[in-house]
Amino acid sequence: MPDAEWLFDGTLGILLLVLAGAALHARSLYAAVVMFIALGLMLALTWARLGAPDLALAEAAIGAGVTGALLFSTLYKAGMDRHKRATPNRIALLLPGLAFLLLLTAAWPLPEMHSPLPDQVMAHLKDSGVSHPVTAVLLNFRAWDTLLEVSVVLIALLGVRQLYPSHGEVPTPWPLMLAWGRLLAPLTVIVGGYLLWRGTDAPGGAFQAGTVLAAGGVALRLIGVLPPLGWHQWPVRLLVLAGVLVFVAVAALTAWLGQGWLHYPTGSSKVLILLIELMATASIATTLTLLVVGEKRELRP
Amino acid sequence: MSTTLFYLAIGIGLWLMGLHGLLATRQSIILVLAINIMSSGTFMVMVALATHSDPVDPVLQALVVTGLVVAVSATALALRLAASRRRRTEDDAT
Amino acid sequence: MNPALLSLLTPLATAILMLLCRSRAAVWTIAASLLSLVAAIAALYQVTTDGSQLIHLGGWESPLAIRFRVTALSALLLAFTALIHLLVGLYAARSRHSQTRNTDYWPLSCFLHASLASLWLSTDLFNWYVILELLGLTAVALVSLAGTKAHRAAFNYLLLSLAASLCYLLGVALLYGRYGVLDSLLLADMLEADHTTRTALLVITLGLMLKAALWPLHLWLPPAHAGAPTAVSALLSALVVKGPLFVLWMLWSQVAPVELGRQAGPAMAAAGVAALVSAGWSACRTPHIKTLVAYSTVAQLGYALLALGMLLRWGVRELHVALWLFVFAHGLAKASMFLAAGEMQSTLGSKKVSALRGATQTVPVAMFAFAVAGGSLIGLPPSGGFLAKWVLLQPLLLEPSHWPWALGVLLGTLASAAYVFRVIALSFDRAPPPRPDYNPDPVAQWLTLLPALLVWGMALGGETLILWMSGVAY
Repeated sequence: MPDAEWLFDGTLGILLLVLAGAALHARSLYAAVVMFIALGLMLALTWARLGAPDLALAEAAIGAGVTGALLFSTLYKAGMDRHKRATPNRIALLLPGLAFLLLLTAAWPLPEMHSPLPDQVMAHLKDSGVSHPVTAVLLNFRAWDTLLEVSVVLIALLGVRQLYPSHGEVPTPWPLMLAWGRLLAPLTVIVGGYLLWRGTDAPGGAFQAGTVLAAGGVALRLIGVLPPLGWHQWPVRLLVLAGVLVFVAVAALTAWLGQGWLHYPTGSSKVLILLIELMATASIATTLTLLVVGEKRELRP
Repeated sequence: MSTTLFYLAIGIGLWLMGLHGLLATRQSIILVLAINIMSSGTFMVMVALATHSDPVDPVLQALVVTGLVVAVSATALALRLAASRRRRTEDDAT
Repeated sequence: MNPALLSLLTPLATAILMLLCRSRAAVWTIAASLLSLVAAIAALYQVTTDGSQLIHLGGWESPLAIRFRVTALSALLLAFTALIHLLVGLYAARSRHSQTRNTDYWPLSCFLHASLASLWLSTDLFNWYVILELLGLTAVALVSLAGTKAHRAAFNYLLLSLAASLCYLLGVALLYGRYGVLDSLLLADMLEADHTTRTALLVITLGLMLKAALWPLHLWLPPAHAGAPTAVSALLSALVVKGPLFVLWMLWSQVAPVELGRQAGPAMAAAGVAALVSAGWSACRTPHIKTLVAYSTVAQLGYALLALGMLLRWGVRELHVALWLFVFAHGLAKASMFLAAGEMQSTLGSKKVSALRGATQTVPVAMFAFAVAGGSLIGLPPSGGFLAKWVLLQPLLLEPSHWPWALGVLLGTLASAAYVFRVIALSFDRAPPPRPDYNPDPVAQWLTLLPALLVWGMALGGETLILWMSGVAY
């Protein structure tokens, strides 16, 4: 039924653009943030429609979930709600209008082109140690990108640490939250663990799992089961750094003793990839929890 | 017009709406939203391009996962900077 | 292990271990910079004897995985990065005024070092995107070390840096959609001058120009670089803006089709001349010391852009040499100038240029460093800046039709002389009576002079350096 498909695509596309416009021009900041989260969920739907379930999971967890939590906590902490609406000026409208035509004509011939890379990924998949192509690209073929990306997450936390200390206090939880929080947290561990384990041969992986675990961490912190987290506690530091540490150690050892930078020895690829993924999950979960909830007192000697 | 091209156009549209937001507003939270919309647009261009190979291009999917994580990290830092910047202006006012 | 990889690994591992041990000791960072410098020199030696080499990460073939390429230039850049980090680290460890003691400056500067090192080595378009983001976030974190007053500049810096990255990424996505590979060395043989390629290169170039603060997209730079702690300003001006410039140079001189480069060249060169004149003018008028130095960075980047534009237009090999000599000479001179400016402004207790009245009597060594570094920026012989300008002017003066561009260089020289002498003339006035908390630190002042002495030292081996750089492959 191509017509029904077109109806779906068209509605989705227009909805995406409308939501984006609404987020940018909403009357209040609160409404803007809600529109933006709705946009994130629609994007997740779009990725699923386009046949990219890894991305749908990642977008729902990271794009809509974590970003939404960060936005709301910023609104809450800074008490921002007054908002001057954007005044439409001529440059802001004209420039994107012209650029749209330019970029669209540039993109016009692209659907006809074909890349040799997907075939190569499939050809080397069996040597990579995992059977899910996206995970193979992330943690074997382009592992250096992923190492740097885990470093980016770390740097974001380090950057936040340099700023004004956040209000450490957490709002008092209401009873429903207390009851649900205790139920939710173990559930996130199960879901997160499942996503991580599945990642080697099906959609899922370290980033999605880490985000789900972070949701559990945030819930536990909000209902007061977890103590305030701080950089001065060495387990926290170890958890935050574990991903980069293991990744860099693997890179250094393979370059020093093995065949080359990030060249996993034959036979041990799967073990090394799982180890890195496990540590990266722990790091991402801890870092995101710290980013959302904030440390009780940032270190300023 | 194929599905790929349609979503390419939507991606470019989102990217430009983000750009428009950057140019049109001074409110720091909205600016962060605009950046995020711009990055969603870029990712949509990449995913749309991924669909024209069968199965869906795993390299582009992996690149978008990387991009998503980078975007959320940058957003976290930007939001905290925005909040602290705002607190400073309030401190100055009082 | 390959010495180039060692030069990258040392700062990365040091940063992680310092964070883990919660150590904020300067000595680790300085030791790491020193080791990285030694490894980079070993890599340079290896490259000059055996020729440039390709490192396949993970052992996979090239379109599938990321490659590193060690050339004479990238080894030189590795050594340059380590050297600047070493010199700035020594100052930051010693000076009371660097605002970086007992902060996370030390691990963060190691991260900055590592990300720059990986930028020089990488050849992959998407890998560069991740590195540029890492570089940008690290730089923003470093700027915000200066406290709440710098947060506004840090926020604007972060937003523009992110927007620029997204421009770059959109262009990369278009290129990948068109050609199906991400490795720049493979793309070099494939690119055609069609509409898609043209648009992709345009978007990429705009993004990189915004990141490198090339005129007219430079307005974010002066507040960010002037508001950062002194040691950070030095690192940002000397190194960080050179990262995107490197990618821009790689793309246009190695990857883009020659005819596209020929069309884009004059526009870039014109933007370079505009940067020289307009930023030079702003530097002459600004009331603040560090803002003056920051505008001078924008102006000096104009020379690099001018050299790149003319290289694309005429394809003269010497212009590669001119471009990179500018980068090295500017990096050393600007590190010295920012450190001296910061040291003087903290010792004298005012951010105003007018506070430098009589600086030759109150902070003589730092003022001397400022003047010596300024001399190299103007291009006075025998300094590194002079060498670069000499190499740039030679192909310009040969052809009468190129003389208008030489006029641009002359205007830039006049502008830089104006803002440097503005400060120097003031410093020879009679000094006002010192403030009660006046307490100069001669050792720190001598440390600010060190990079400036090195840039004048470049001239000692000038001829050999030019000959050697003309001989290596780009």
